[in-house]
Parts: sequence; C-alpha cells; structure tokens
Amino acid sequence: MSADQERTDVAYEDANAHVSEHAAGPLVQRVSKSQGQIIWEQFRKHKSSLVGGVILIIMYLTAVFAGFLAPYGINEYRRTPVAAFRPPTPVHWTDPDTGRLTRPFIYDVKEERDPLTRQRVYVEDTSQKYPIKFFVRRPSQPYTVLGLFKSDLRLFGVDEPARVFLWGSNNLGKDVFSRVLYGGQVSLTIGILAVWVALFLGLLMGGIAGFYGGFVDDLIMRIVEVFAAIPGLFLLIVLASLLRDPRNPVAQAIGLQMTSAETFLLTVTVLGLVGWGGLARIIRGLILSAREMDYAAAAKALGASETRVLWRHLLPSTASYVIVDTTLAIPGFILAETGLSFLGLGPSELDTSSWGLLLRDATERGISIQFVPWLLIPGIPIFLAVLCWNLVGDGLRDAFDPKKRR
Amino acid sequence: MLLYLVRRFLQMIPTFIGATMLAFLISQLVPGDFLARKALEPNVRQETIDRMRSQFGLDQPMHVQYVRWMSNMVQGNLGQSFVSNQPVMLRIARPMRNSMYLAVLSLVMLYLVAIPMGVYSAVRQYSLGDQVVSIISYFGLAIPNFFFAQVLILLLFIIRSFTRDTFDFNQMLLPVAGLTSSNFDTLSPFRQFLDMLWHLLLPSFVVATAGMAGFTRVLRAQMIEYLGSDFIRTARAKGIGQRGVTYKHALRPAIIPFVAGIGGLLPALVGGAGLVEVVMSYPGITPGFLAALDSQDIYVVLGLIVITTILLMIGNLLSDLLLAAVDPRIRYG
Repeated sequence: MSADQERTDVAYEDANAHVSEHAAGPLVQRVSKSQGQIIWEQFRKHKSSLVGGVILIIMYLTAVFAGFLAPYGINEYRRTPVAAFRPPTPVHWTDPDTGRLTRPFIYDVKEERDPLTRQRVYVEDTSQKYPIKFFVRRPSQPYTVLGLFKSDLRLFGVDEPARVFLWGSNNLGKDVFSRVLYGGQVSLTIGILAVWVALFLGLLMGGIAGFYGGFVDDLIMRIVEVFAAIPGLFLLIVLASLLRDPRNPVAQAIGLQMTSAETFLLTVTVLGLVGWGGLARIIRGLILSAREMDYAAAAKALGASETRVLWRHLLPSTASYVIVDTTLAIPGFILAETGLSFLGLGPSELDTSSWGLLLRDATERGISIQFVPWLLIPGIPIFLAVLCWNLVGDGLRDAFDPKKRR
Repeated sequence: MLLYLVRRFLQMIPTFIGATMLAFLISQLVPGDFLARKALEPNVRQETIDRMRSQFGLDQPMHVQYVRWMSNMVQGNLGQSFVSNQPVMLRIARPMRNSMYLAVLSLVMLYLVAIPMGVYSAVRQYSLGDQVVSIISYFGLAIPNFFFAQVLILLLFIIRSFTRDTFDFNQMLLPVAGLTSSNFDTLSPFRQFLDMLWHLLLPSFVVATAGMAGFTRVLRAQMIEYLGSDFIRTARAKGIGQRGVTYKHALRPAIIPFVAGIGGLLPALVGGAGLVEVVMSYPGITPGFLAALDSQDIYVVLGLIVITTILLMIGNLLSDLLLAAVDPRIRYG
C-alpha cells in the first residue's frame, strides 16, 4: 500500500492539490516531494547500497580519527629491542590463575629461533602482565585531527617495553594496525580528490567540445583519443615515476622539493590527468543532445549569452549522470592509487602511509609471505572501500533512473 | 567496407602522431643528459656515444629530436637500449610475447567461466545462484589484482603446509612465480609447453577474475533484455524449447559485443596483467617497463609505449571490424 501511494506521489509531483486515488474520505492536500527527496527515498530502498554507504561513513570517520584510534604514531618504531615481524598480539581476557574474566591484558614477547627452520619466532613471556590501558596520553607522539586539533590522547595502549600489535608489525617494527588507520587518510581521500580533478577537466573540455562543436570539438576529442591511445597503466607509471624525481624539469621550474605533501598532490594530479578523458566524452555527448532541446533554444531566444546557456542550462542538465559517473569513478581511482603506491610511485613513505604502500611491505626482498601473512591485512580495507563505493554508485544510478523507480 | 577501412586507417594517423608526441614530451622529463651518464661507463667508446648522439639528434632542439626519432621509428628502428646495448626491438620482443601468452589464456578462461555465469544469472533472475554470481562479480570488481595474487600465493603456501605431513609435498601445488621451471631447457618441446601452461594458470586466473565482473554483469543485462523481446516470444510460440530459446536465440545477439571484444585481446596484452606480473615475477611487459624506467633506459620505455599504443589502436580497429562481421545490423559503407 505504501509503495502504491509513493508511486502516486511521484506521478503527481508537479501538481500540488491532487487527490490520491487511493485516499478515501475527505479531500487530502498533498505536498509534492522535491527531486532530492525522491532520490533519497529510492536510494534507501537499495539495502546493499545503504549498507555500503554506512560502511563508507564508518571508514571515513576512522580515517579522520586515526590518531585517536591508533595506539602508535605513523612511523613510530624503536631500535632496541626491534619489534620486527611480530605476529598479531594475542589479547587475554581471562586471568590465567583463576580462569575468571578480567580486564584485557597482553604479555611481552621474547624473540627466539625455531631450532629446525631457523625462523624467528616470538614466545610470550608470562612472567609479567601488561594491562591494556584506555585513554592514555602519549606526549611523544602527538597527532592532529583534520589538521585542526592537536592532541596526544590515544584510545588504548600498553606500558613499555611491551607493545600491542593488533595486526602484527612490519620489517621495521611498525604497527600495521595503526598504519592501516593512517593509510585510510591517504587512500580514501586521494580517490575523491582525483575525481575532482578529472571532473573539472572533463566538465571544462567536454562542455566546450559539446557546446561549440566544429573545430574545437574535433581538437578536444582528438586530445581525448590521444590520451586513450596510450595504455593507461603505462601512462600512470611513467608520469608518476618521472615527475617524482625532484630533478625533473617541471619540478625545477616550479621549485618543487617533492615533500610528502607534494608527492600526494602530484599523485592526485597524475590520476586526474590520466582519467579525465572518459568523463569529457560522456559530458560532450550529453551536451550535444541537450543543446538541441527546446529549453536551450528558449534560453537563447530570451537573450542569454552562450556562456550562460552552457553553465546555467546545459551543464546542470547533465548533473545526474555526472554524479553517478563520478561516484563510480572513485573506486577506480582508489585502485589506481593503491597500485601506484604498491610500486612505490604514490605518496612518499616519509610521513604518510597508504594501503598500497603497506602491501608493498609484503613484497620486500627476502620476505616469504607464509611467515608474515598479517602483512596482507591492508588489502582488506582497499577491497572494502572499493566494494562500498561501487555499491553506492550502483544504488545512485538506479535511484536517478526514472525507469527503475520502485 | 574497404573504403571504411581506409578511412579508419587515415583517422588513426593523427591520433598516433599525437600519442607519440605526448610520449616524447613525457620522455623529456627525464632529468639530465642520459648519454652523459653512459659516457662514464668504462667499456663504452666515445664513438658509440657520438654515433647515438647524432643518430637521434640529441644535440639538436627538441622538435628536431622528435622528427629524427619518428623517422627512425618508421624505418623500424626504435633505438638502442642503454643498459644492454641491444636494439630496443629485440629487447622488448620477449616480454611482449610472454604477456601475450598470459592475455590469451586469461581471455580463454574468462569466456569459459563468464559466459555460463552470465547466462545462468539471466535465466534464473533473482535466484540464489544469480545472487551468488552477483556477489562474485562485485568481489572481482573490488579486489585489487595484485592483492588477489598475493592472497592466492599465501593460500597455496598454507595448503602446502597442511598437506606436507600427509603427502610429503616438497613442491607447491602450483608454481607461484616466473614462467618456466629451472630445468626448462632440458625438457622436450611438448614438456616445455606444459611447463609454461602450468606456470601460466595462476596469473591468468587472477587476470580473468578481474574481467569477469564487468563481463558477467553486461551479459546478464543483455540476456535479460533479449529474453523479454518479441522475437523470443515468437520463437517460444513456434514451440522451441527453453534451451533452444536461451542458447540459439537470446545468447547469439547478446554475445556480439564480446565476440568483438576478441579484438580487445591486443590491448589486454598491453596493460591487463599489469601488477599481477610484478607480484608473480612474471617476465612480462610491466616488469620490463618498470625496470627500464628505473634505469632510465628511455628508448626502451618509449619503444614499449609506442608498440603498445599501436597494438591498442589496431585492436580497437579490429574490434569494430569484427563487430561488423558478426552483427548483420551493422554495415559500414
């Protein structure tokens, strides 16, 4: 019943005093819904997209509050004793003597060698318990939230010399769990930023090509073809790798030092530069068809300038497609960034972390993955983020499509 | 048809020139004079350096260099590798061939698995199987190729550690790196072929899963559309069974874009395997490209870009031609 009513609402949305056919009794004044409300209602019916959206929100929140949630700093490690390749620390919930539930604690570990394989193994030293403390202050490792608020309060931590590695540690003894949380700050934002770059270029070039047509159109479309003709992966790799070198002519001309912030922006730019072609092509097609519509002619007849027609009438008409296409482009950019970082061509390792960079740890020379399987954990958030963006994008596409309304 | 072919070919020329220009411009980003570094090597004679310098006009302004490079290329000379002193052509032939093997096998796997999956989920819409297929394709869409390869390698190691006691496996279930075994040269040709196939299984499976997602979803949508169309109703009314309707009437038009996609084989060889090759130490294009870039062997880098670009363009052309060949609705004047 409720579904029927909604369908009626949609059908009569532009009239404001229609009576629902199903409503019995006195005349009911119906308020029509805005476009946004309709889309939201449609989107809400996509359970999988909704779940994807919620997971994404949680992931972005953990990235924002990574400093608080992570027990250690982004590049924190200690020289003595090195805590390299520690497996995930087991957290004990029961008292070993009484068997009763107790506050969670961990043991410190001792490094030993397996007599047979000569592999490094860690054995728990049960002589002393290290309780997990909550809301600890660690003034030696301050962090900022969104670059605005400084703090040194961490959600949890243990006393030295014990270390809590929920997801193990890497070859230098850095905490994988903390680094995955920090890595989200890079890997989750880079996709969105790169899409903005691609969208800007795509709207500009596609809009101009579709609106002016003729020679300009031909020229721009040839440029798009040129970019499409070179295999994307190679273009990405070669641009990222050559531009990273601070001695390259462009960097020297602008005076770039390739600090970690600059390599981050560089990665965003390269991703956007390689990815704008597809969007430009789609937008051009949409504008070409919209240009022939009556409302464009009407606007022109009313004396609107060409720029006004383009920016106020034609480009907004492409909005729904653009929203869907950009949403579906984000996971692609996230994958591209992790791939570049995996090759060491993404944001620099100095004081950032990225999920692709973390997976690179597992390929270091001399590492056999079967002994350090926890180094693959950073792949899971990549998978999750890409999956959820795809789900959200699919949900949006269906919600914007009047033919698929339910 | 011939006219169309000629026109398409002519259209490709400006795009190709543009792409080479872009690649050449990018190559100018390499810092410093790469021949200067070459000259520091003790076993390189000054004449060699001078010859290379004049052959590619490295002492000339940029546009002259470009023209020189292009005219060399048109004659089939992609330049000399700085690292190994081989002609670039020779140096990149083997990795390209290896990547081609990978592309072909993964495409075969893709078609073998994805076509039945797409047909099944279209015929049994919203069934449990359909949902499983849809979950699998979301999975394939979201997992980064290189990460998937790493996970599979780990799985193989785990399997080995479990079966070592019972079966005494000293070997892995499947090879996880490279293209050939260490005793490859001693094997008979047929054994060599099997050995390579054996090594190719895992990487091509990984590459195939990545393509599977998009393939199955499009095929499913196409099949559903055709199954609801009038000519299917006509076929049913004439008494053709479910199987005949599905496979003879609906699948044929639905599969057309994928048949044409065989032309996409060439581009797939180019970038498709990508980072999987790196993770599995496969001697293909991408590792070769990365190594050349790392040693700033610029003519190898340029050569790979140019050759792959040509392949990509020919592949696209081939796709269009195939499309016209299999789809009677498309005719090129």
